Amino acid sequence: MVLIHENEDQVFHNDDDDDNDNGRFCINDNLDLLIEVLQRVDGRSLGSAACVCRQWCSIVRNDSLWEHLCFRHVSPPPVGVRPVVSALGGYRRLYMVCVRPVLSRLKRRRIGGGGGESEVVRRVWNQHEVELSLSLFCVEYYERLLVGGGRGAAAAGDSPASSLKFLCKPVNV
Amino acid sequence: MKRDRERKKEAKASISSSSLASGKGKDLHQPLPDSGGMDELLEVLGYKVRSTDMADVAQKLEQLEMVMGEDGIFQLSDTVHYNPSDLSGWVQSMLSELNNNASDLSPSTNFDIVLPGESSSTTMIDFSNNKEIDGQQQGSKLYDDDPYDLRAIAGGAIYGTTTDESPVPRNGIKRIKSAVAGSEAVAAPPESPRPVVLVDSQEAGIRLVHTLMACAEAVQQDNMKLADALVKHVGLLAASQAGAMGKVATYFAGALAQRIYKIYPQDGLETSCWEILQMHFYESCPYLKFAHFTANQAILEAFAGATRVHVIDFSLNQGMQWPALMQALALRTDGPPAFRLTGIGPPQPDNTDALQQVGWKLAQLADTIGVEFEFRGFVANSLADIDAAMLDIRPSEVEVVAVNSVFELHRLLARPGAVEKVLNSINAMKPKIVTLVEQESNHNGAVFLDRFNEALHYYSTMFDSLESSALTQPTSQDLVMSEVYLGRQICNVVACEGTDRVERHETLSQWRTRMNSAGFDPVHLGSNAFKQASMLLALFAGGDGYRVEENDGCLMLGWHTRPLIATSAWKPGGMET
Repeated sequence: MVLIHENEDQVFHNDDDDDNDNGRFCINDNLDLLIEVLQRVDGRSLGSAACVCRQWCSIVRNDSLWEHLCFRHVSPPPVGVRPVVSALGGYRRLYMVCVRPVLSRLKRRRIGGGGGESEVVRRVWNQHEVELSLSLFCVEYYERLLVGGGRGAAAAGDSPASSLKFLCKPVNV
Repeated sequence: MKRDRERKKEAKASISSSSLASGKGKDLHQPLPDSGGMDELLEVLGYKVRSTDMADVAQKLEQLEMVMGEDGIFQLSDTVHYNPSDLSGWVQSMLSELNNNASDLSPSTNFDIVLPGESSSTTMIDFSNNKEIDGQQQGSKLYDDDPYDLRAIAGGAIYGTTTDESPVPRNGIKRIKSAVAGSEAVAAPPESPRPVVLVDSQEAGIRLVHTLMACAEAVQQDNMKLADALVKHVGLLAASQAGAMGKVATYFAGALAQRIYKIYPQDGLETSCWEILQMHFYESCPYLKFAHFTANQAILEAFAGATRVHVIDFSLNQGMQWPALMQALALRTDGPPAFRLTGIGPPQPDNTDALQQVGWKLAQLADTIGVEFEFRGFVANSLADIDAAMLDIRPSEVEVVAVNSVFELHRLLARPGAVEKVLNSINAMKPKIVTLVEQESNHNGAVFLDRFNEALHYYSTMFDSLESSALTQPTSQDLVMSEVYLGRQICNVVACEGTDRVERHETLSQWRTRMNSAGFDPVHLGSNAFKQASMLLALFAGGDGYRVEENDGCLMLGWHTRPLIATSAWKPGGMET
């Protein structure tokens, strides 16, 4: 009984002051740790993380996190890719538009079963998949150029251009 | 009136077929909850038919339709037919009326049908595959000299590939409606197996193909009257056939009709529509993407180590092939080369400079990814109008040249000597590599019928593959446009002749012979190209059906067992790589 009472006290104590070093740790104070953690999670979790709060959202929007995600298992990441990918729309877009659908489609082909997002991450890319995704990404950028006319590709929004529609599932999750 | 009957027949047929999934030879009609023994659905329409009589009435309606044929209505005299709502009796009286007229029919009408007179009320027309057909020859005496007797034509076109259990040719045609059905009728004794009213869609499909081929054969033999009748019939059959087969048949029927009536498609709209259609085709299925990716891989490997590269594209269209190549060049380990693109295209009807627009967009892309880019566009009606000197080829120490032709070279076969001229020009350009992508089928045979059959098989397979990928396509507009795109090719292959017929596809082996005799040596496409192509196909939803094959250094993309397009690479003979 006494023990419980003590715990309750502690709980109350922690609610009162967040910043106090009560043995309670707040991640928002240690952003470098947060980034380290985020560098290891899968794409879906990254997306959810962006919805937590504004601070997390701005961290997650940093393209280097998505670069880590894309090339996690390809070592070393090909040289010179970064400027090209950034110019074409960034790693986050690359992941959403090409990498994720490509990996999940190819994984499904091989194993024949639907895996979860975590399966997709743990899968090792190979060089060809990287090349293919980058090519598709470039084609998609070009198509947005064609469609967008003079306005440029950036204005076209987040939905992928039609040449990549074959990668999309009919129902948007 | 005829349409009404057809609708009713179809309604009945669908009732019959849906009520039982398993095989033939059974009485398939399940009586609906009835009011006094009458079929409820038909009663709503105002016709009183007993549910038990349904099968019988359906058959009689079909017989009636056959008998009346295309202008059969004029064969009826002015007798009054009692009470159409008593469908059974009405049909019976029509039939006997027409039967009485049948023997008076002159051979000048299109189709002479004679039904076995005395057994008309119990005639069963058996659709089952295995039933032996009793050779009821009552109608045969009319057919011996009849120029419209389809049996005479049937020959190889219809019987070539099917194996029939009976040597009697009649069995091969399951039922060609406007023709010799009478002789197929079995005057079965009343205790015989019960009537089958199934409209088997598979069989309808076979019927459709046979009719198409018969029509083509009629055209081949210049029998335009018969061809005309058949083509109308195909149109009807195709309209009721669901799926890819129906669509293909519709296009082929349209093309045949154009050939028969000598209405050739206008050239005016061709170029601008063509490019839009090709874009949709690009998006909906992997053929063009496969072509681009495999050709790019070959070009990329040929460009290894070069600092200035020049690609000559024989059909620029929207330039969809080049972003991927530019991106691969940009990410080369030793940095991107200076990339120069020469695009050749047809004149636009509204004189806009479409090539420059595409060049501009490609330049924007190149700027984004950091590749030095130069573009030149050439407008030409035919590739034969271009020669190497015009293209400002720089010496080979300065730049490495690649020539790329995707679905373009076959058009030159329409004019004699053109393709040799172009191949010589290519040689003069001194390319390091020439990539050639063509349809894998021979649509350039001398005999129309052969071309037709080849094209029928080829485009049926293509439409099949489109159909399967359609299941997961978010937009059906792409699918429809792709079909129109293919439909134009079909029309060109079937309806046009001479210099208008530009879709002169030839097989890889034929192109190989041609390239070899023009002095080119083959370059093997490496395993990288194969892997990339396989991966690309795996991404497509219908990916199970697509197959990449390697054929002596060339790559072929096919649907199931049928190769549809082939990519090959060449270099001028005697050149060191």
